Amino acid sequence: MSTADAPGTGVAGTWSLTIATPIGRLPVTLVLGYESGVLTGAATGRDETVPLTDIAAVAEPGGVRLTWRQVISRPMRLNLSFDVLVSGAAMAGYSRAGRLPRSAVTGVRGQ
Amino acid sequence: MHSVGRMYAQIVLFDGFDPLDVVAPFEVLAAGGALSGGGLDVRLVSAEGPRRVVSGTLGLALEASAGLDPELPGYVVVPGASGPIEGDPDVVDTIPVLLARVGETALPGLVGTAMSRPDVTVATVCGGSLALAMAGLLEGRTAVTHVRGLDVLDATGVTVVEARVVDDGDLISAGGVTSGLDLGLYLVERSFGPRVAHAVEQLFQYERRGTVWRAAGVLPVPA
Repeated sequence: MSTADAPGTGVAGTWSLTIATPIGRLPVTLVLGYESGVLTGAATGRDETVPLTDIAAVAEPGGVRLTWRQVISRPMRLNLSFDVLVSGAAMAGYSRAGRLPRSAVTGVRGQ
Repeated sequence: MHSVGRMYAQIVLFDGFDPLDVVAPFEVLAAGGALSGGGLDVRLVSAEGPRRVVSGTLGLALEASAGLDPELPGYVVVPGASGPIEGDPDVVDTIPVLLARVGETALPGLVGTAMSRPDVTVATVCGGSLALAMAGLLEGRTAVTHVRGLDVLDATGVTVVEARVVDDGDLISAGGVTSGLDLGLYLVERSFGPRVAHAVEQLFQYERRGTVWRAAGVLPVPA
């Protein structure tokens, strides 16, 4: 779990993401923030909001590497893990559902 | 509604089902029921009630004679879907898309009720386990599906075991398409014993393949 270190601070806010699943692309709104200095977050997709777990933010050349997990049940039950690089107002990386091949994730700041 | 002691095998049809996933266990269970002296009432059902249901293969249709009744003792058999495996799921109705669509019907609710009943065993063929897993019904369970769907099944929180038939108590899953024969024979053996199952094998000129996996006995040490 990341604390309120300088690189992590830059990722807080609202993000609009598109993630690929075996049944199609899914628009997701990500909200990241700090509670008692700890980075927390939630993802809102179709019909549900789920907490993010195992969130980590690490400074890297070119941005902040952000990783997390989320468990969704809508539109289908899926364990997802994310690994993205945040640079300024954009993030790019991939998500992986279990043993499935990873798929591209892109996100921008804002609703 | 049903007489005491009567066993039912309700095989579920849904739009885009795979015909062999349905017909293989249907024939085996029908033969097992007959050879047991009428111990099994085998029927095709749908979540919506009696209707003509179109499969995913060249429009072949089968007739559901009744609605799925989750209170009937015995077996509820859920088949997989037939369709393209590859393709952009936003454009093509791939098998995962067809299976996820099952989640929008009344079927998961009915199967969930069936799973909660001690006298009902839910059995799946091919992508049937995946359809239930996508609907969130197989959390933490052990199951198998078609070899091409194992990774998706794993991503839904199911412990995957690659066996022809996996017995997880009140959930029995079978692998790809033809494993519906093995599932049917295993259910016949569970209900009526090896002599009836063997008699069905002789009638069908088919011998069950592979060991049915169960969480029993000695855990194998790494080879």
